[in-house]
Amino acid sequence: MSAHSKGLLFKNGAILFWFVLIASIALALYTPAIKARPKEPADIPANGSGNYLTPVEAKFSRDGSRLYVVCEDDDSLLAVDLRTQKVVARVKVGHKPKDVAVSPDGKTAYVSNEWSDTVSEIDVSNFQVRRTLATGWGPIGVTTDRAGRILYVANSISNDVSVLDLATGVEQKRLASWRSPHNVVLSRDGRHVYVANLLGHLGLPNEAPVSELTVIDTGTQTVTRRIAVPGVLELRHIAEAPQAQGGYFLVPFMRPKNLNPLIQVTDGWILTHGILVVQPERSARAETRTTQVLLDDIDSYYAGTNGVAFTPDGRHALVTSSEADIVTLIDTARFNVRLKQMPADQLANRLDSAQTFVERRLSTGANPTSVVVAPDGQRAYVVNRLDDSLTVLDIPGARVQGKIELGGPKEASQLRRGERLFHAARFCFQGQFACITCHPDNHIDGVAWNLETPQLGRDRVANRTLRGVAETGPFKWNGRNPDLETQCGPRIAKFLFHSEGFNSVELADLVAFIKAIPLSPNRHLAADGQLSASQEHGKAIFFAKNCDTCHPPATHYTAKTSFDVGTANKYDTSGLLDVPQLDRIYERPPYLHSGEALSLEEIWTKFNASDKHGVTSNMSKEDLNDLVEFLKTL
Amino acid sequence: MRKIISLMAALAFLSGVSTVRGQEPGLYTRWENFTASNGMPDDKVFSVAVDGENVWAGTENGLVLINHGRIQKIYRQEDGLANRVVTGIAIDKSTGDVWLATFGGLSRLSGGQFKNYTNLSSGLANDVVYGVAVQGEFVWAATTAGISRFNTRTGEWTIFSEKNAPMHEPWSYGIAVSEKKIYAAVWGGGVLEYDLASGLWKPYNDPDGEMEIVLFQNQGLIHDIVSSVAYNSDTKMMWASTYFGLSGYDGHSWHNYLSTDSGLASDFINATQSRGDEIWACTDKGLSTLNFKSNTWVTYRPVQEGSGGEVLITGVDKKVTRKATQTSLAHNYVLNLAFQGEDIWVATAKGLSHGIRETQKREGKKNEPNANSR
Repeated sequence: MSAHSKGLLFKNGAILFWFVLIASIALALYTPAIKARPKEPADIPANGSGNYLTPVEAKFSRDGSRLYVVCEDDDSLLAVDLRTQKVVARVKVGHKPKDVAVSPDGKTAYVSNEWSDTVSEIDVSNFQVRRTLATGWGPIGVTTDRAGRILYVANSISNDVSVLDLATGVEQKRLASWRSPHNVVLSRDGRHVYVANLLGHLGLPNEAPVSELTVIDTGTQTVTRRIAVPGVLELRHIAEAPQAQGGYFLVPFMRPKNLNPLIQVTDGWILTHGILVVQPERSARAETRTTQVLLDDIDSYYAGTNGVAFTPDGRHALVTSSEADIVTLIDTARFNVRLKQMPADQLANRLDSAQTFVERRLSTGANPTSVVVAPDGQRAYVVNRLDDSLTVLDIPGARVQGKIELGGPKEASQLRRGERLFHAARFCFQGQFACITCHPDNHIDGVAWNLETPQLGRDRVANRTLRGVAETGPFKWNGRNPDLETQCGPRIAKFLFHSEGFNSVELADLVAFIKAIPLSPNRHLAADGQLSASQEHGKAIFFAKNCDTCHPPATHYTAKTSFDVGTANKYDTSGLLDVPQLDRIYERPPYLHSGEALSLEEIWTKFNASDKHGVTSNMSKEDLNDLVEFLKTL
Repeated sequence: MRKIISLMAALAFLSGVSTVRGQEPGLYTRWENFTASNGMPDDKVFSVAVDGENVWAGTENGLVLINHGRIQKIYRQEDGLANRVVTGIAIDKSTGDVWLATFGGLSRLSGGQFKNYTNLSSGLANDVVYGVAVQGEFVWAATTAGISRFNTRTGEWTIFSEKNAPMHEPWSYGIAVSEKKIYAAVWGGGVLEYDLASGLWKPYNDPDGEMEIVLFQNQGLIHDIVSSVAYNSDTKMMWASTYFGLSGYDGHSWHNYLSTDSGLASDFINATQSRGDEIWACTDKGLSTLNFKSNTWVTYRPVQEGSGGEVLITGVDKKVTRKATQTSLAHNYVLNLAFQGEDIWVATAKGLSHGIRETQKREGKKNEPNANSR
């Protein structure tokens, strides 16, 4: 560089310096009313602990410039600047945050904390927690009303919806939902809140499940309708189409053919996956119409239908498959044609539907649980739960535009690898299902499965939870799998997946993950561990009746062996059945291996006629109530 | 002017009904009846409750929803109701849920769907449930095996029976709630009062213990066989109906009424309700109401099948004035009552009756579904 040029540069640099300084002072004087923006570091480390973030849900800031991302394993809410595609803010919230809602004025975010039974109210101007609001048990879905005065929170454990007055922060009332309500959505007209229930109604094991969309009138804050959805489970998200595109609601679902022998997986259609179309009633007396449309292809299943969103113009709908790691772009015009051309009762069983309206299937990161569309309709963001990232979609181009890394460890740990396997449907014949399909939230799906045909000597058996199972072997209701390696290894491949299954490394990873699945907090036990009088009396009965013989406290209330308690059914080859652990027993009806007991009481009032499951025929109703109350504390 | 005011006061006295809630006084002289012949699933109506424009009636064969004078919907067992016999109804004003006492358990109607709680599937003391009431997050049920309390938030059930409450018989007929207390009508056990703060029960019994006689009129509860209990939030008084007269308790004194010394139609009283200065008694011989302040009685009853009814007004001097009406209660065997503004809805053994005060000015003509109005 010549001296001349150096001097010019210095000279030009000096001019630039003075120009910037004067302009800054002038701007500061001229625009005193501009609000100070919070300091936004260029690249905030999203997670200082080295743990995974596990993002689950995202919502836009009111101006669309940021995305608020809920991270369940990091107990945090992130703010992602969509221009720089960087995490610009992070705030710690409660335990296991699951959803976020943004107030109508855009100033506040509300994060549900599933394991803290609270909602964190966050001032988004400084990204600080302003208040922590108490809710029901296991809050997940959250939304405000149109005025921002009321917060609706779906409580997955207490099976209800908290209605919170945001002025006082106090819960006003609880509205009964059905079973494990997960997602809540305010309708576009603001008149209703729709609640998606993950699990179906408790029913007899020889009947197909029935799920429910609960409808709340925001004017009266009462449940005005319960839309029964026969044959399906796992309603996880809800999206409403613009009126011009039909004004209906889309709800992803899983349809278990649990009454058919699971051995027929290779014949197909044991589990199908699709979207429910809910056409709201036009009058109070009209019936709500629902139609089930499958998203599966003829030889490839769309396992884990999960997130759903519409573009603002309604021309596209996006649905994620969290077990196939795909997001599907649906052409709603063609979808509507399909709805009109095909009778609803036929659509529910047509595997050739998807090809008529799917515009593109795009690969995402691992376990895409939700999707949101930017207000301008140009981009969508897919939340990759087990990838700590967001996939950016170019909607007009129908392509993946890029990826936003949220932070967290770059390398996948054994537990992370195992969790990904747990969520991967590719190990099953034609990708029909993954472990998580029947164990949503690492728990139960609430139905009994026909694992083998009755002729082969095994009647339908109830699904069992995976929470806290590490030390509860042997496994399976007949107790024939001594450890999880046996349970999840070749036998799964042969009898369930009908494919080659996991290799030894994958199996080790998967088992490590399953063993690490924790129990959820006990909501029936007081914080100080003190039992109520009723619980204390129930505890005395538990030991007086020698329940601890088969359910010893030292080993999670299971003797880890099999007993015949007189509950064998017609096709069971043996009455000897594995003793289930009792930890958090209240979370997982139905009970008994058959799933016939719909409540804890029924175990003894209906299915213990011979007194083989403890001598209970001489128990008073009061004693039984107390015993049940004690069991809930385990 | 003074004469006019005096005349008006005299008329009010003669009518036996003083000003209620700021409305003009008046008798119920117009009745619309809902029976099996015009759409009810059964003539026998055990229970009735009002939620705004919705009137819920529990019959021997299902639950009926009436809105603006029309039967909107009938819920039967096949719709999910726990049992066809619906003996009690309670509305949770906060959630809009309707709780139903039936002869087959407790039903919760929410968003058009039923969820049932039975003796086998839950902590309900017995499936024969006579009464139900909602108090905050708790639902109370009066059953033949005691009183059950259900915590709707935690799912916990508590049973109160002769084992842990001062009742020698667990057979319970009715429940009423106040802000701080729960009242239970117990067959042969009098009235039980549960204090929400202390969790303790207090019994109110007939001090003479006699089944057939009342030794002293205001000695205490008039009889231990109590068929129902009501709490008046306006006067803070508890009222108990028995098969041997009517009792009221104001926290200090008892006020007892027999048909022999008052305008009460009969001592056999199936249910009682109260608001303002009014106390209503659903008897086997008609519907009686007492104005507590003026101590005047009015009884409504049909005269003869299909030939209208009569109103009997009993003043403080025991003089009875009779007034004939073209329409009347569906039947003289009255089982329950509910208020809808100035209107009343009466459950009888032969239909549900809608009573309309004669002084009320009505805009236009209400829906008239009842061809057999008397």
